[in-house]
Amino acid sequence: MRKALAVLKREYLEVVRKKTFIIMTLILPFLMAALMFVPTLLMMKGIESKRVVVVDGTTRLQDVFGAKRLASATEPPVSRAARELGKRAQAQQGGKALELKTDYVAATGEVKAAAQPFLEQLRENDGSRPERLDGVLLIPSDAFTNTDAKLVYYSRAVSDIMTEERLANTVNQALSRERLAGRGIAAAEADHLLKRLELEGIKVSKSGEEKKGGELSFIVGFIFAALLLFPTMIHGQEVMRGIVQEKTERVVEILISSMPSFDLLSGKVMGLALVGLTQVGAWLAMGAAMAVYTGGAALVAGVNVFQFVDLRIIPWFFVFFLLGYLTFVCIYAVGGAISNSEKEAQQFMGPIMMVAMVPWMLAFPILQNPESRLATVLSLIPVFTPITMFMRMIVSEPPLWQVAISVVLSIATVVAFFWMTAKIFRVGILSYGKRPSPAELWRWLKVA
Amino acid sequence: MSSDDVLTVREVSKTFGRVRAVDRLSFSVARGTITGLLGRNGAGKTTTLRMINGIFLPDDGTIELFGTTDAAAVRDRIGYLPEERGLYRKMKVIDQLLFLAEIKGRRPADVKPRVEVWLKRFDLWDKRAGKLEELSKGNQQKVQLIGALLHDPEVVTLDEPMSGLDPVNVVLVRSILKELKAEGRTILLSTHMMGEAEKLVDDIVLIHEGHAVLAGDLEQVKGSFGSNTVQLAFEGDGAFLAALPGVASARVDTNVAELRLAPDSDAQAVLAAVVGRLRISHFEIAAPSLEEIFIDRVGAGVVANRPAEVVT
Repeated sequence: MRKALAVLKREYLEVVRKKTFIIMTLILPFLMAALMFVPTLLMMKGIESKRVVVVDGTTRLQDVFGAKRLASATEPPVSRAARELGKRAQAQQGGKALELKTDYVAATGEVKAAAQPFLEQLRENDGSRPERLDGVLLIPSDAFTNTDAKLVYYSRAVSDIMTEERLANTVNQALSRERLAGRGIAAAEADHLLKRLELEGIKVSKSGEEKKGGELSFIVGFIFAALLLFPTMIHGQEVMRGIVQEKTERVVEILISSMPSFDLLSGKVMGLALVGLTQVGAWLAMGAAMAVYTGGAALVAGVNVFQFVDLRIIPWFFVFFLLGYLTFVCIYAVGGAISNSEKEAQQFMGPIMMVAMVPWMLAFPILQNPESRLATVLSLIPVFTPITMFMRMIVSEPPLWQVAISVVLSIATVVAFFWMTAKIFRVGILSYGKRPSPAELWRWLKVA
Repeated sequence: MSSDDVLTVREVSKTFGRVRAVDRLSFSVARGTITGLLGRNGAGKTTTLRMINGIFLPDDGTIELFGTTDAAAVRDRIGYLPEERGLYRKMKVIDQLLFLAEIKGRRPADVKPRVEVWLKRFDLWDKRAGKLEELSKGNQQKVQLIGALLHDPEVVTLDEPMSGLDPVNVVLVRSILKELKAEGRTILLSTHMMGEAEKLVDDIVLIHEGHAVLAGDLEQVKGSFGSNTVQLAFEGDGAFLAALPGVASARVDTNVAELRLAPDSDAQAVLAAVVGRLRISHFEIAAPSLEEIFIDRVGAGVVANRPAEVVT
């Protein structure tokens, strides 16, 4: 056991002292935040600078577009969630909404003809002219009467669904109001009738507690799923690389002549598990510090940031982290032991990691529908269970028996994997030359 | 095999795929001696040492160390210097050594003073905080050797211990090995450098194609080949030596030669024939050198699986 501890200590210190580890631990949270929010910001920025010409065949929508700037109707969920958080913490400054520049043209004749010069301009607009034009919206003259009439939007890019949806919403809102006005309902009353209500998600639990949910807990779910998966993959690679290196540098001879291969493997795996715990521990601490910092400000405003994350889930996080980690690190150790080069090991690991990624690829449906059959079944299948079950626990409250099965199953998987790995490891780590075939691996399992 | 044997290899075989690396090999090593495991490249020396160190298990036969065949029980009492460098390149020299002692069951704090002594002795103390990859090949070999000795092993197994060392370090290592022997430790070293083995070992085990072809006390082995060899040092062109009457075979190098005499020829007659044609600085009638024996026994045309000739 003392020898396993010596290996653990060596592996741990080697990784933790590396500059890449320190830098990664410090900047990854910021990088992730940037990855989530920067595209949204850029998208919003992109809308703000857009200019659309509206050619109105009805000639009656001047008021709607006359304001020149169009208030936001749609936003991507991420930015909405961010704004939600901001609003609750009363950190939102001035409530600046998204805006779109529009030029209004009332077409008394044929709409298409009136729009022709703008369409020409759009067609020839290659960015060389100072006058910017991104799209032309055609509102047919029978828009108020014909329910089959279509709004037509011309643009150089058809992928701009946000702008299209915003324009459609604005026009439809105006049409509804006009139609109501046609039935003798005053504008103020029409606005009242058309007022849309916001929806707020509340998560209920057995303890009778109610938690605010919505997009934010969705995002929290994603973040924790990433926290479960990515350190495992990064440090699993590290284990694999380390073993391949020990083979190529022949340190393995010294190691195997000094200790049982089981001690060597457990020292390595536990050492790297400790590295992973250190890293996510640091990230959680950074997150907590940030939450306390922003939470302090929010608290003054009477908002509790912790209503989004149940703190009692944190111990579960470490449980599932370790279980998921040990499962995959064992697989990586086998990959390292049976390969002669890093490249070879990576080829071996490729398909296996694709399988391991399944819960991550299905994170969206799982988080969206944590009680669905897909989520339930996936959370009770070995290998997938640690990540899936924890994702479910973040957004809902799975039955305790399912959580218990998940934990027992995971422990059984880890023990089985560890046992197999130790056997394959013992033979594989000393084999130089061709990588063994699956049949050979099976033989190793039986004899070693 | 006497009761004083600390290591006994009995009928051991090891096959890798279709290659029979070790083939019914038997020999024993007496406590407190230096034994040389000799043989050509690929003879099975390294595989044998790996099996003794529990890295490979023999397919057949037994290896008894300290009176037991359970390699795991005695692995902390044996030291191993592998043929190829087996160290972490990115690790500091001193951390590396402490780690090596730790996995051999020693506490880092206990071996620290010894690390200092060894590093100073090998002139590496200044480099203790440097990474291994910053060291020259010879210095890495010295670190590896310290690693094999730090945990105070009773039996030290060394695979080609002199490879990569300069002459000064060769002398240093040689004297250290003799010291270890004086302390009562047992040393088993493999080498294909016969001259080196001749200066160092008490006993030899000559392996060919996985099989021991000659084993025993070095002097007795040499004696058994008889004193029919003339060693000659000279100035001049010695090309004619092989053709002299009474000379069965000859190896002539620049300024030295080793002549194997025909069974009934007289060394004095050979000397007489040589005088006048070369300037002789050394003339000795002796047992054949280990190199000569080596080539005789395992050179081309050796019959495999010939029973080992044990000289006692």
